[in-house]
Amino acid sequence: MEANTQIKNAKARIDHIEDVLSSVAAGDLDIRIESDIEDDLTGVEQAINLLIDDLTHELKKSLKMKAEMEEKLQKIQVQQKTILQQQEDLMELSSPVSKVWDNILILPVIGTLDSQRTQIMMENLLQKIVATGCTTAILDITGVPTVDTQVANHLLKTVTAARLLGAECIVSGISPAIAQTIVHLGINLSNILTKATLQDAMIYAMKKNDQLVGGKIKTNFFEQEENQL
Amino acid sequence: MHEIVSDKSWELLENCPIQNEYDIVKARQIVRQYAKEAGMGIVDQTRITTAVSELFRNMYMYAGGGEVIIEKGLVQERNALIITCIDKGPGIENIDLVMTDGYTSGQGMGYGLPGSKRLVDIFEIYSKLNVGTTVRITKWR
Repeated sequence: MEANTQIKNAKARIDHIEDVLSSVAAGDLDIRIESDIEDDLTGVEQAINLLIDDLTHELKKSLKMKAEMEEKLQKIQVQQKTILQQQEDLMELSSPVSKVWDNILILPVIGTLDSQRTQIMMENLLQKIVATGCTTAILDITGVPTVDTQVANHLLKTVTAARLLGAECIVSGISPAIAQTIVHLGINLSNILTKATLQDAMIYAMKKNDQLVGGKIKTNFFEQEENQL
Repeated sequence: MHEIVSDKSWELLENCPIQNEYDIVKARQIVRQYAKEAGMGIVDQTRITTAVSELFRNMYMYAGGGEVIIEKGLVQERNALIITCIDKGPGIENIDLVMTDGYTSGQGMGYGLPGSKRLVDIFEIYSKLNVGTTVRITKWR
């Protein structure tokens, strides 16, 4: 009997607590338990109010964090897009084939040769050989820091394919360190024509094409072209 | 063939995953950098970079990727760079065969594994079918 007297309006207040809790569960975090009576139940009511406060705080924090994460994710996605774009750009930039002299093409290779790039490189070179009718192509690998079996294999394939089109390839720019490494790897590159520097390759190609006289460029080569015009 | 275990005294320098072709390039650049820092000359730098390039590519092509552990420490009382490549691929059935010059199960030249063995000082390989392959190379200064 005494317990009952200590809690006034127990039924109504518990109903109120239930209402408030279900409101909170439904997402209304501004609501609090209100009561003017001070007795044993007041402690419970205050504790529930404190819990709702904490919950509101945590919820706000996690919402803020979620927003931050989403922002970061978006940034990363933008960056990734840029990286992909740059990779594509690089791919196009990476394998220019140019005609440096009558009958001589040059393909400077710079950086890393992955399978996709090597494919584009080979296509570009072969197309250019057919388009220009050049019979000498110089592949300069000065800018390739690592020549492993895959790179060597690709060079062999490119040279063989070019040969099928009637063009001779010269590989230049093999550093002393890379030369030793190739020997230790055990790759046989003896059926490829190689030169230490681009200059050596150029001199060799011009001699072969009979474009040099006594180490100097033949001048009548220009005259011939002018006469033809 | 024995299981490959790490020496506790070695210092871990880097741990990099190999999942795509760009990882191969990145990881071998890291290896080259450590070789440089270890005081290796340009020839040794090129050798170890080429050797790891073969191993990384094998991991990527035949095992779908893997993990690379770069360590430094004393091996046979010499300062060395130790690189361990671990994959969870199909494993190698016949180690002697894959270590033969010119043998390839794929599109390569068949000089990757035997070639990289000739480029380093110690070459260890351990493989278990359907579990994976571990290759460790050691190169001292």
